[in-house]
Amino acid sequence: MADTKFDVLIIGSGASGGMAAYTLTKKGAKCLMLDAGPPIDFERQRVNKSAHELPFRGFGKPGKLSHVFQATEFNANQWVDETQVPYTHDPKEPYNWVRVRMIGGKSLFWARMSFRLSDYEFRAKDHDGYGDNWPISYRDLAPYYDQVEPIFRVRGRRDGLMQLPDGVFIEDTSGESECNKRFIAAARERGIPNTKMRTSMGRGQFASSFNLLLPDALATGNLTIVPNAVVREITVDKNTGLASGVNFLERESHREMHASARVLVVGASCLESTRLLLNSGIANSSGVLGHYLHDQFYITQSVQAVIPEARDGKAPSGFIGGGGYMPRFRNLKTKEKNFLRGYALDWSTGGSPDAKYFPLYGEALQKALESCRGAGFNCTVMGEVLPRAESEVRINKAVTDVWGIPVLHVQTRYTSNEFNMAKDAIATLEELCHACGWEVLARHDQMFPPGYSIHELGTCRMGDNPKTSVLNKWNQSWDVKNLFVVDGSSFVSGGSQNPTMTMLALSMRASDYMAEQMRKGELEA
Amino acid sequence: MKRRRFIQALAATPAAPALLAQQAQPSQQAPQAPPPAEASLRYTPPDAAAEAVLHFFTAQQFATLRKLSDLLMPPVNGAPGALEAKAPEFLDSLLSQSPAERQQLYRNGLDGLNAQARKRFSKLFADFDAAQAEMLLAPLRDPWTYDAPSDPVAAFLRALKDDVRRATMNSREWSLAAAAGRTRGGGGGLYWLPID
Repeated sequence: MADTKFDVLIIGSGASGGMAAYTLTKKGAKCLMLDAGPPIDFERQRVNKSAHELPFRGFGKPGKLSHVFQATEFNANQWVDETQVPYTHDPKEPYNWVRVRMIGGKSLFWARMSFRLSDYEFRAKDHDGYGDNWPISYRDLAPYYDQVEPIFRVRGRRDGLMQLPDGVFIEDTSGESECNKRFIAAARERGIPNTKMRTSMGRGQFASSFNLLLPDALATGNLTIVPNAVVREITVDKNTGLASGVNFLERESHREMHASARVLVVGASCLESTRLLLNSGIANSSGVLGHYLHDQFYITQSVQAVIPEARDGKAPSGFIGGGGYMPRFRNLKTKEKNFLRGYALDWSTGGSPDAKYFPLYGEALQKALESCRGAGFNCTVMGEVLPRAESEVRINKAVTDVWGIPVLHVQTRYTSNEFNMAKDAIATLEELCHACGWEVLARHDQMFPPGYSIHELGTCRMGDNPKTSVLNKWNQSWDVKNLFVVDGSSFVSGGSQNPTMTMLALSMRASDYMAEQMRKGELEA
Repeated sequence: MKRRRFIQALAATPAAPALLAQQAQPSQQAPQAPPPAEASLRYTPPDAAAEAVLHFFTAQQFATLRKLSDLLMPPVNGAPGALEAKAPEFLDSLLSQSPAERQQLYRNGLDGLNAQARKRFSKLFADFDAAQAEMLLAPLRDPWTYDAPSDPVAAFLRALKDDVRRATMNSREWSLAAAAGRTRGGGGGLYWLPID
């Protein structure tokens, strides 16, 4: 007989949904988790191959996954097929929506860069007057970061930076190579701080909801996971106005089912959660749902340089290699003329520049590449994108996915604030390279289209005012009190830091509150 | 197994419906163990046993592409060059399935290069000597810029430089050379099988 009585129904098994399950089941809540994707057996799902064994020699099938710049012919099958779940946008304003539908979600594949936000983000309006503050401050979330980091085993170095608060780290005591010391010193002279990369080590460098959260939640005996459940709509009890459950379709058979629970937690990823709420016609008395889409802009391979002393394999041991992270340093104590907020730099030495950067071909190119092997400097720029009301997603009823669910139309673009910030970043990096005596091979300030960073945020924003926000400070819907949205859609602003640690901390905090409210009977009719 | 005996064995195999009709019901018969793996079976990729049939490029375009491929990625120090790696043949197949914009880039680039060749030396690019070719490949000596050059031939040459290199280094020939210690690299990694 079906066991259909649950305290909490959680939609999504990635970082935020997984953390809700982890927290709530330990507090005794009986949880049902639905995910649109299948469970994955990594041992069976992946095989070692050479590029020449693939149908397109590693180029990928032409036209497949045209929005997913991260896709290769090797990993093409891990991403959501855009023909199955399409979305629309103005061709002149491209958006790269990068999605994963598997148990564990995007936490299976994230870069594991693990940062805290600071009050430069939580109280951003107080600092520079733009946008809105979060309804919480760093002090509210810090105790949850403190709990999340040990679960994910974050390695980092404590540097006491106001804009990048220290955490509960596995201390990174590694040294710096000689040329890295030179680069860090040149930056310090210009007021630019540096720290070690902060990385979730997880278990065996795999740090996912899949291995760090869901197993513990299952071990409580309080979690039921149903994969391949494509949620179509949240249902609402007309008498109480409370969410009563969801209707979902089995991924392969398209059979429709209904599941119910006392409380609903939506953690399906920023845009899928928003799409679900919009398609359900709920939680939008403010009219804000779907607005304020933002992320971080990314410029990869922004400045390519060659370190002369390391050419031709001449670098002595310990001279080159490794990297660092330079957190936001603009608009903290000073004010830039042509942009707000700031950017971070993820840099490294010891790589090899790509052939395309050399104005050569044939044998001469081969010789140059050999000479520069392992002598390169490279940097990715990650910049804050301002949340704007006009950056929005809405339902496009004219297009549906293969399950007949209307898709999203995405309308967003970067503006002069981001472009000016990018120019500043590249000029700064070039200046640093020259100060170090390195040869700048190529530089550019062209960011990828919005969405590339896979850090979409903000479309179900939190706030203090139900007229201007979707969620209150506990990630709880203003309109439907037993509905919580715990993923990146709840962000008010995103800074330049990778957002996963903040999503995890928010989800844990919301789940703590939820459990207490359930105990008090506050989420009932 | 000799080829003739193999064909005879195939001919003796009943058609699938008849075979299914003969099978016992699962409840009546214990499942059979899978046959032992035939470790001695070896397979050959089609390129090692057959010639590619070209679909995309005209004969003149393909001759130009071969000449360019050899110039851009010649054999160096034991590493195979683009021709040995059959990069032009691969690109013909790839381009035949590529978006129209990419196809146009290649066609305009190859035809434009030949037009320049005729204008300057009254012959096709494929018939150039090294010095003549070097003159027309001058755009490849321009510094890299993020945006592709506006000139269609220059834009094509830049794209081709990347494509030929990748098609060569991701070839079976390159992989074999790397295994023999004659070069480095060759693409490889964990491949995600399609998800049911």
